[in-house]
Amino acid sequence: MNYEFDWTIVADAFPLMLEGLVVTLELTVVTIAISMVLAVPVAVARMSEIELVRWGAQAYIEVFRCTPMLVQLFWIFYALPALTGLTISGFTSAIIALSANLTAFMAEAYRSGFQAVPVEQVEAGKMLRLTRLQQLRYIIVPQAIRQQTPVILSLNISIFKDSALVSTIAVADLMFVANTISSETYRSLEVFTLAAVIYFAVAFPVSLATSNLERRMQQNSARGATGSQSFLSRMIPGRRVATA
Amino acid sequence: MKTLESTAPFHTEIGGVLVSARGLQKSFHGRTIMRNVDFDMHAGDITVIIGKSGSGKSTMLRALAGLTEPDEGTIDFDGVRVFEDQQRTEAWADKSFHVGMVFQTYTLWPHMNVLDNLTLAPRKRLGMSGSEARDRAESALAEVGMKQHILSRCTQLSGGERQRVAIARALMMKPRLLLCDEITSALDPPVAAEVLEVLRRLKAEEGIAIALVTHDMAFASKAADRLVFFQDGEIAVNTTPELAFTRSDNEELNKFIDAVRF
Repeated sequence: MNYEFDWTIVADAFPLMLEGLVVTLELTVVTIAISMVLAVPVAVARMSEIELVRWGAQAYIEVFRCTPMLVQLFWIFYALPALTGLTISGFTSAIIALSANLTAFMAEAYRSGFQAVPVEQVEAGKMLRLTRLQQLRYIIVPQAIRQQTPVILSLNISIFKDSALVSTIAVADLMFVANTISSETYRSLEVFTLAAVIYFAVAFPVSLATSNLERRMQQNSARGATGSQSFLSRMIPGRRVATA
Repeated sequence: MKTLESTAPFHTEIGGVLVSARGLQKSFHGRTIMRNVDFDMHAGDITVIIGKSGSGKSTMLRALAGLTEPDEGTIDFDGVRVFEDQQRTEAWADKSFHVGMVFQTYTLWPHMNVLDNLTLAPRKRLGMSGSEARDRAESALAEVGMKQHILSRCTQLSGGERQRVAIARALMMKPRLLLCDEITSALDPPVAAEVLEVLRRLKAEEGIAIALVTHDMAFASKAADRLVFFQDGEIAVNTTPELAFTRSDNEELNKFIDAVRF
């Protein structure tokens, strides 16, 4: 191998790459926040007894599951303005495309969680005359999200990595900055290695936490909660901590 | 939001006809589960319902609860028509608040503690304040001997304890009719006896009518006012426990009783 490494490039590129990372994280956080909310009505629609609603939700999910994200990005960035006449920035296009994509996958994760909640628990809520919305809000969704937390975290890690695609529509994220520096310095190996390390440094702890969480959930369900409360159980929205 | 004050008034006196079902029929996937079921129940009575699996017992209970819609028939509750022409009437929306149900499987919500399980519906549907709901919860738990577990997580409770909490939760809405679908079938006999004793006290002290699907003939003989035997989707016998246990004319009932008791 005749390649001569020049790792000083890494020192020079690092601050710029961190700026790109900030954009990547902004994109990821906003996308996750939007998708986690929008996925709930999509999941509910997917289980609707009204055929038109159910098919509409199914169609939406299948479109975004069965087309490449790069195509979705390009479509939002190039085709949507042509259809609507609106000028949409690269960042906004990225948010729309990433959110629409993640919402589809998240909705399926939620639906799986909703359907895993024992029907008798929902019927108990019905017998206590809770409305359908209250059954969803207090009985189904909290349990579904808890059940599906490992899946949801995995999807979030994936969207963080897949956000690298937004560099193709000139959004100045980590990948775009890496690409630019690489073009200017001709040190692709060092620059993209640094980019990979940065992506890994952010994603790996989350991946580790996800694995830890899955293991704790399995231990808790096996133990029947005779021991101390799990970290996750204390994070369930609305759950009051028992006082002595 | 419905408030305590706007819950529909209840008219039936103890001993009066609380439930009157006529001609109930239900089929699933071409198989008739319930056929021509006529059933009356009086306020303050304990009615024990027995029969083989698949004979229609739970289906009738679910029809009275509003969880299953019969294909045919009518149901009157508290003197008002609540089901006809294959659908619930407008009166059911209010009258349904007087019907509670406890299920065979433990249906407590595991992500909430006992207090939250009990107070959710009164707060959200009856408009009770947190402190009012807590007071009522303490009272309901005291009825079932579970007051000391008010802040326990449901997953920390034994089977019998969970079932008693489930009864307390149903009592929070002050039902006049409590439907119990094999609530002791998963419990050890001594624990089952404790749970059934709770029901007997509820009837005696609160005047709640209870319809109970069970195989516990000891409870039926001691506490039931009526015994209903389901056979092939129909009510084959509707009598008092005394008459049922002293050789009725129905051979299937005699065989069933002999099989479930020593």
